[in-house]
Amino acid sequence: MATLRDIKQRIKGVKNTQQITKAMKMVAAAKLRRAQDAIINARPYAKKIQSLISDLTSDDDINSNPLFIQRQVKNVAIVVITADRGLCGAFNTNIIREANRFIDEEILKENLSYSLFCVGKKGKDFFTKRNFNVVDSFVGIFSSLDFSFAQRLSDRLITGYINGEFDKVIVIFNEFKSIIQQKVVVEQYLPILVDKNTNRNTKASLNYIYEPDRKSIFDFLIPKNLRAQLWRFLLESNAAEFAARMTAMDNATTNAKELIRTLNLKYNKERQASITKEILEIVSGANALKSSQ
Amino acid sequence: MSDLYLEIVSPSKTVFKGEVDSITVPGTLGKFQILKNHAPIVSTLEIGELRIRNKSEIRFFAISGGTIEVLNNKVLILADSIEDVDEIDLERAKRSKERAEKRLQLKDKDLDVPRAQASLARALNRIRLKEIHSSKRI
Repeated sequence: MATLRDIKQRIKGVKNTQQITKAMKMVAAAKLRRAQDAIINARPYAKKIQSLISDLTSDDDINSNPLFIQRQVKNVAIVVITADRGLCGAFNTNIIREANRFIDEEILKENLSYSLFCVGKKGKDFFTKRNFNVVDSFVGIFSSLDFSFAQRLSDRLITGYINGEFDKVIVIFNEFKSIIQQKVVVEQYLPILVDKNTNRNTKASLNYIYEPDRKSIFDFLIPKNLRAQLWRFLLESNAAEFAARMTAMDNATTNAKELIRTLNLKYNKERQASITKEILEIVSGANALKSSQ
Repeated sequence: MSDLYLEIVSPSKTVFKGEVDSITVPGTLGKFQILKNHAPIVSTLEIGELRIRNKSEIRFFAISGGTIEVLNNKVLILADSIEDVDEIDLERAKRSKERAEKRLQLKDKDLDVPRAQASLARALNRIRLKEIHSSKRI
């Protein structure tokens, strides 16, 4: 049976927690606004450069450029983008679960091997602890998200792909849909997929003038495109993280409020019961005295 | 006759969207102008000046490389970085010029020479355009 003092202490504790979650929510909301602007401004470029490439690619390119050729797959590189910190609801769990499922169903079942690249501390901790084949991990990049990181990682993946270290690159990340919604996305990064539904051949057969020439333009555009895509993934994940944290902390604050309400009720009931008990004791004591006289 | 639709995007934002009469860009093989009904072209762009004319209004931008695609009177410019000449921060450009020059002079072994040169070229481009166009307006 909880005494009055216990309940009072409990209420105080919950109130403290509520203050913290409230503050975290505010911080996440402020950071979210900036991250949201960044991703919304970065999307058009990433989208346009990708569609420009799929417009210009002909069937010849698909069969001759190493970054387009579909090879016999033996080893798959998986880039898992999680957050560095927790307390953001199911944000990290969803990514890790999807990565786990992917490794089980699409890699191990097919007798393929994989190399994991973990971006974010949470993914790294999870996978290294369980002895997954983590080749490289990047921690703390989200505190000051910088384009040069996207460039470095992208160059690393391209080199690995060209050297034959892996035959396919997959990226798993959270896409920022809206403040209340994140979506786990699995994207093929390499070889580059061109959208077969567009009227690609009619467009590519158009006699574009190429300056300086076709090959230099491709060599210029493709690494740029890959960097821009990876950069977009990172920004998506970053915005989604803050959105998830904001929602999680908002829920926690509401829960704390509800908890405080029930505890208060319990406290008052308890208080009333103890008063009643005291009165009862006095009255029965008085009665006992009276009857004994 | 402004039926030429132009869109300029850079990795950090969409810089321009709308109809224009003509566009002059610093192509890799030389500066060229695009008017209505230009033939389809794809070209890489160098560091330099980008000029947009719409009726009597002319706008100047400092561009640091990118790509242009022209197809059916739709022009798409993917710029590595681009800014309106009016928005150039002259002091900042001068500082980065000095920084790049210093780095090139020191001839450090670890120095990424092409990168330092590119950064110098970008700074010089900004300074040059800012000086040309601000003197014109006064």
